[in-house]
Amino acid sequence: MKDTTDIRCTYSGDRDEVLVAYLYDDIEPASRASFDAHLAACRRCQDELAALRGVRSQLGKWAPPEPMFATSHQPPAASHWWNAIPAWAQVAAALLFLGVAAGIANLDVRYNNEGLTVRTGWSKSAAASGVAQDTSAAKTTSPASPVSAVSELAPWRADLAALEQQLRREFRASVVPGTARPLNASIGVSDADLLRRVRTMIDESERRQQSELALRVAGALRDVNVQRNADLVRINQTLGLFQQDMGVAVLQNKRKVDYLVERVSQIK
Amino acid sequence: MTWTDEELVARSISGDADSFNELILRWERPIYALAYRQIGREEDARDVCQETFLRAYRALGGFRGQAKFSSWLYRIALNLCRDWVRRERRTPVVQAPDDVDLLDLAATREPSESIEELVARKDLSRSVERAMKRLPDEQRTAIILKEYHGLTFQEIADLVGCPLSTVKTRLYQGLTVLRRELARDGAAAR
Repeated sequence: MKDTTDIRCTYSGDRDEVLVAYLYDDIEPASRASFDAHLAACRRCQDELAALRGVRSQLGKWAPPEPMFATSHQPPAASHWWNAIPAWAQVAAALLFLGVAAGIANLDVRYNNEGLTVRTGWSKSAAASGVAQDTSAAKTTSPASPVSAVSELAPWRADLAALEQQLRREFRASVVPGTARPLNASIGVSDADLLRRVRTMIDESERRQQSELALRVAGALRDVNVQRNADLVRINQTLGLFQQDMGVAVLQNKRKVDYLVERVSQIK
Repeated sequence: MTWTDEELVARSISGDADSFNELILRWERPIYALAYRQIGREEDARDVCQETFLRAYRALGGFRGQAKFSSWLYRIALNLCRDWVRRERRTPVVQAPDDVDLLDLAATREPSESIEELVARKDLSRSVERAMKRLPDEQRTAIILKEYHGLTFQEIADLVGCPLSTVKTRLYQGLTVLRRELARDGAAAR
């Protein structure tokens, strides 16, 4: 580009200040209009403005290295992907998750004479189902402690029952006539509350399932140890009997040999 | 609901720690970027950033809202940067490795960018860093606050404590020096 610094600029005010204010568009409208008029006729200002815009463009390439903050946080909740999913779908997913997790939580590990057996809630025997049905019947006849009766056998059922009741209450509350809240606000608040509760329940359910799994693993280990000890005792007994039998056989053989030796000596 | 900075400050003063966390989330990157461009060392810039929020938290009760919270925060950060330069007795350093490691660079490559474009972009970035390092402190600060943080001339004047016209002059002079330095460095300002 040809150097235009020797071209005379006729701007009457403080040219440098106005030029930089114009460059950053941080200028009073009157000054802008005045400089616009000047700019149309001043080659030197045109060139310098273009050059400084080029410098600004270069400056835009300078980015600091990405920081690794110790205080790095999760993005705000509003940007979570699950916010794009309708509340009913989230509730359905939560129910599905609870169901699958419940099946896993009913893991049944046994070690006995038949060997190691692993079963989940889905493969429980009909008898177990019968017990559950009986319990459900008991639930309907004794409303005083419905959840606790169920939770003794399958804690996750209590969560499902509570969730169902919660959903029913929410649903009833949302269709109560005469509620004057705006629709959007009503939906927003109840959805947020509902989701928070569902997440809380899922968390609690997970914790309970982990405890239950730990208990079951501990129980399985205890069973294994008991069975192992029993096997050892049995092996010892068998080995003892075997040794005893061996001893008797050896003694009998010795007697036979002695008898034969005695007979042979008599014949001689 | 989105709170303004000043509302978050008020809530922080009344004991809501989450509000101050929100302020940190909102401003840690700009403050870090300001510190990095001022002193040129990533680790020290992070320290300055943390110290800025620590001091802000301690002095929160004294924030009267006469200025924007961001301006107040910038002032703390700029003072810390100035202290850093004085304490270290050195000019701001911009870490520009001589060798270009293509593997390292490739990790920062944008999807549509070729290796040649990436190298050119990095070269240009380093040229800008070197040119900025050669500027006097006042000019560099004015350019950083205007160019990268979008402050008005008046806000910069309030922040650094000088007349409005001085800010404009510093910017003009700084940009003129940069234009020359970039042209000399091969990244000619177009």
